[in-house]
Amino acid sequence: MNAPIPSPDTLPVAWNWLQGLLMLMFPLHLLLMNAMLGFTAVSLYARMKGGETDERLAHELAKALPVLIAIAINFGVAALLFLQVLFGQFFFTSSVLMAVFWLSVPLILIVAYYAAYLYDFRFATLGKRGALPIALTLIGFLGIAFIYTNNNTLMLEPQRWVAYFSNRGGTMLNTGSAATWPRYLHFMTGGFAAGGLFVALFGRFKERRDPPLGARAVELGMNLFTTLTLLQIAVGFWFFIALPRTVMLLFLGGSVTATALLAVGLTLALAALAAGFKRSVVLSAALTIPLVFVMAFMRDAVRTGYLKPFFTPDMLKVAPEYSPVVLFFITLMAGIVTIVWMLRKTARVYRTII
Amino acid sequence: MNYPVWYLPGVGGGLLIASIAILHVFISHFAVGGGLYLVFAERKGLREKSRAILDFTRSHAKFFLLMTVVAGGVTGVAIWFIIALVHPGATSLLIHIFVLGWATEWVFFLVEIVAIFVYFYTFGKMDDRTHQIVGWIYFLAAWFSLLLINGIIDFMLTPGAWLENGSFWSGFFNPLFWPSLVFRTAVACMFAGVYAFLTTSFLKDETTRRTMTLFSGKWVLVSWLAAIPCGIWYYASVPPPARTLIAGASPTIQRALQAGFWSLIILALLTLILVVLKPARHSRPVALFVFLSAFVFMGAFEWSREAARRPYVINQLMYSNGVLQADVAGLQKNGFLPAARWANLKEIHEENLPDAGKELFILQCYACHTIGGVNNDFLARTRTMSYPAMLAYLRTIHDKRYFMPPFAGNDQEARALAAFVVKGLHGKEIGEGTGTGGSRDPGEDVFEEHCSMCHTLRGGGNPLLPKLAGWDPQRIRHALDMLDKLKGGIMPPLKAPPADKDALAGFLAASLRGGSK
Repeated sequence: MNAPIPSPDTLPVAWNWLQGLLMLMFPLHLLLMNAMLGFTAVSLYARMKGGETDERLAHELAKALPVLIAIAINFGVAALLFLQVLFGQFFFTSSVLMAVFWLSVPLILIVAYYAAYLYDFRFATLGKRGALPIALTLIGFLGIAFIYTNNNTLMLEPQRWVAYFSNRGGTMLNTGSAATWPRYLHFMTGGFAAGGLFVALFGRFKERRDPPLGARAVELGMNLFTTLTLLQIAVGFWFFIALPRTVMLLFLGGSVTATALLAVGLTLALAALAAGFKRSVVLSAALTIPLVFVMAFMRDAVRTGYLKPFFTPDMLKVAPEYSPVVLFFITLMAGIVTIVWMLRKTARVYRTII
Repeated sequence: MNYPVWYLPGVGGGLLIASIAILHVFISHFAVGGGLYLVFAERKGLREKSRAILDFTRSHAKFFLLMTVVAGGVTGVAIWFIIALVHPGATSLLIHIFVLGWATEWVFFLVEIVAIFVYFYTFGKMDDRTHQIVGWIYFLAAWFSLLLINGIIDFMLTPGAWLENGSFWSGFFNPLFWPSLVFRTAVACMFAGVYAFLTTSFLKDETTRRTMTLFSGKWVLVSWLAAIPCGIWYYASVPPPARTLIAGASPTIQRALQAGFWSLIILALLTLILVVLKPARHSRPVALFVFLSAFVFMGAFEWSREAARRPYVINQLMYSNGVLQADVAGLQKNGFLPAARWANLKEIHEENLPDAGKELFILQCYACHTIGGVNNDFLARTRTMSYPAMLAYLRTIHDKRYFMPPFAGNDQEARALAAFVVKGLHGKEIGEGTGTGGSRDPGEDVFEEHCSMCHTLRGGGNPLLPKLAGWDPQRIRHALDMLDKLKGGIMPPLKAPPADKDALAGFLAASLRGGSK
């Protein structure tokens, strides 16, 4: 039986506009999620470890967490929108096939999010018991990431969709696919590593006013970053060889762009790791942020490789209407100006207070 | 028919959508009106130089943040998830037509989040003027979010000129856009007061509680009064077929509207008591009661709005089951199953009739009907129908009951679906005859074909004989010619030859005398 791929709908603007926006929003979403993971994990560790500095660090990270979660969700919405408009016929289908898990994402998220608030607002009164809600948050995040990995791989493998006819209740997962587990571990390892780096950056930011706390954040964050980035050498390799041969070969000369991305990615990763071992936080971050963009582009190249036998976005029909693009960009500009204004006013408040 | 169906026969997608959507809408309207409330409450505190009012505003802002950013924001994402799971085809259309509208809404969502965090975390630390400006920024961003989503939601009921020209702007500024926007704005401000009743009920200081209860009550009452003309304008802008459903043709909408009406009355009365008569009587149970009334009202409104769109998910474009209106004639001619991408059976034989019918049920009926579930139970609605009656009903389903989509399949597929219902679900025989050896009253066949989808003779949800108690045969026969004039035009006219009506009248009269089971 041929894979029953639905017919896609018509785009209002050329696909590359939307692809450009996807490739901007998704890495930003990744960076925010990485920070969210790092703050959660380090805060949990420091809370459990105890001691005056660690507890203070755990609380400071906890205070920032709800804001990070909110903005990470927000950027996730934008990325998901552009994903659905370009690859909806694949993504909507895989979502239906695993509907029960997919719908549990917002439910888990609400619980994880409220647990993070409980942990922050009741930090002192909860004491050591505070480890429970923040552990719940962390487990929730790990679960959501697992569901996303399943959906994002199932959408790429229409040949696996026919299993639907023996299970229409939406309880499929894609764990039977060779790439799912290594992909999940690859993203989680990378996510926590970059998250550690964000904790270290937070430490640098705090260092001037609270040297012990800043130093501890840098220490824990950079340890997490370097250890997991070393581990990533093994995990990343596993993921690479678990990819279908045609997709893997794209990165080994099959596609100039994919091969170049891999080369740049590896170089940036090694350089960031070297900077990490030297405890050079800002340099590591300056290398890792573009690295996350490169990794997102590589992920897109993997998607393109998987879907190539069925679909490329340039096949989508377009009924052009560009005036809404103007509306979007004007709103975006006005939004950025407004946000910058509010943040400057906020920064002034905190400078005055401190 | 383009996408697979998430099949949970005992639950149904509609109930899942409704439960998430009503919860979200109840919070999201608060997220808009509540922002304006914060600005005005803070201004009141500053003008009156009242530390207590400012403290209350700050704690209300904390409640607001926790309620809107977490539960409100994430249930908004959840609606998107659930509609894409239940109506993937329609969601895909809405995403594609309005992608840049959604993207613009995302910008406002981002501004909203940043503004509410800044507002809450700098309360009492930022200079008053700037802090109030941040409050206004939050409110405006939230209101523009409402404006954008409002345009897209209303498009589903009134696509307007978009159907002819396919323009984003025609679809967005559709006939319902303005009435719905002002109505929702009024509701949002009303909810600002309703939610504030909750937080004021926790105030310990008697004077502040009284002051802020009065303040909140004014928000509710003024918005309540404003919502009435807006609601009338909204109703008047609804297209005629949907208005007929709201006016009485749909029993489910009638129940929802009654619940909505009484909850609005209770809400207004309780608020009046609090504001005018006994502000001191404000307590947590009263606040909770007002809150629940508002929730029921919102649920009733959203339920009615969604239900009035039937048989479409996007009016005049796509039916609730994902079949495009433009495709129906072709599907009736050439068959549905060969064209449906996610049908497991493509060919029909006499042996696989019920199995093929089940595929058709999943792809065409399950979008609205459950099997034995709470919402639109298919079993209860088809229990009394024989195979010929079911078959005849399927062929004229949309004409008989406007809110049902037409059956999009050929004759063989209609037989398959009827076989699934009659034999597969109810275990009855599917002979082409009546199945009673010819001794059956011919009027009974007419009853099954034309009446049994809504009525039983006795018992069940809508029995017919008690309504006819004391009627003579002539009166029954006369009524059959004017069904659409009875009871305020709820019933469709009976489209049957006079001989069938005679037979039906005879059957009903005999049944009244106890001559028929």
